[in-house]
Amino acid sequence: MLKKSKKANVESKVSNSSVTMVDRTIIGDQIYIEGTIRGEEDLLIEGSVKGSIEMKAYHLTVGSKGQVEAEVHAANVTISGKLEGNISATGRVEITKEADFNGEIKAKSISVEDGAYLKAVIELEREPTQKAVPLGKPEAKAFSEPTKEPLVLAGKDSKGN
Amino acid sequence: MASSATDLNHKDLNQHLGLEVYTSNALKLFMEHLDQQPQSRLLDVGPVCQENIRFFASRVWKHYVCDLFIRLDRYIRKGDSVYQIWKELDYHPESFDGILVWELADRLDEQDVKRLVTLCHSMLKPGGMAVVMVMGDQIASSETRSFVVGQNYRIYLRPQPHLDLPLRGRQNRDVLSMMTPFIPAKSFICRPGFMEFLFQRE
Repeated sequence: MLKKSKKANVESKVSNSSVTMVDRTIIGDQIYIEGTIRGEEDLLIEGSVKGSIEMKAYHLTVGSKGQVEAEVHAANVTISGKLEGNISATGRVEITKEADFNGEIKAKSISVEDGAYLKAVIELEREPTQKAVPLGKPEAKAFSEPTKEPLVLAGKDSKGN
Repeated sequence: MASSATDLNHKDLNQHLGLEVYTSNALKLFMEHLDQQPQSRLLDVGPVCQENIRFFASRVWKHYVCDLFIRLDRYIRKGDSVYQIWKELDYHPESFDGILVWELADRLDEQDVKRLVTLCHSMLKPGGMAVVMVMGDQIASSETRSFVVGQNYRIYLRPQPHLDLPLRGRQNRDVLSMMTPFIPAKSFICRPGFMEFLFQRE
């Protein structure tokens, strides 16, 4: 069910030895939502969501039971369940070893645990370009510019099930 | 969550990243090649590794990760045909400037190696490069390990205990033979038991 963790139903997390109260909405594992979700607070999805999720200043978590097929815009994203779609994050994307992700990630930074089931296109904020001094002879071979993007990750059964 | 390699002192690196092995000349050349490409696209076939994603994604335009190791592991555990993993490489021909094959070939039988090489050749742009790693008998282990790229192209081997894959060790000449469609660009004996190959598509 949909839960709002505030006041009497507060979730807490420990950060730097202090306890911080965190408000967030939880979509429970028996809930299926199709459409657009817009929010002004953090969101935990343990159910199923199909559509788009827009919470640009907040944190989206796809829990271990969560199954999401959506375009996601958020500040930070944590994936421990299944997410198929594209993520645009102004901050960090975390992918745990329980995650099954298929899609594109644009983010400032990323962390990925060994064992994550991943098929992704990743674009991070790039460091200033440093042209390396060639060790060997440069590859001067000309080639044509791509006229098409690589196919994007549409496998419905990417987990091999 | 795993710490960044840069957050750790050298003493902790081996524990964090795995056994420190050598400095990779092949990867240096490979990245020099990618640096020269506008809007470079790189494909990494795994295993998924945070350090490598950070390393490569911050240096190329688009970093594609398709972990074939974990897919191979799951198909084998389920008793399914390994052949199915190739549908995962559903990218257009001539999509990539570089492909990191690592030691995937040593986990495949001859038929699947041919399929892998054919696909890599197709997916690379003309002039594109592929990196293949080979561990000799004295190093090879049935335990699957990821090649973790550290600072200054230091390579560490980190065990991947969640993967249980067969090992089919290949000699250097076997690697050259299996990559026949490619031009062998460079090969390096990094230290006893470790060889790196850089192949290029014409």
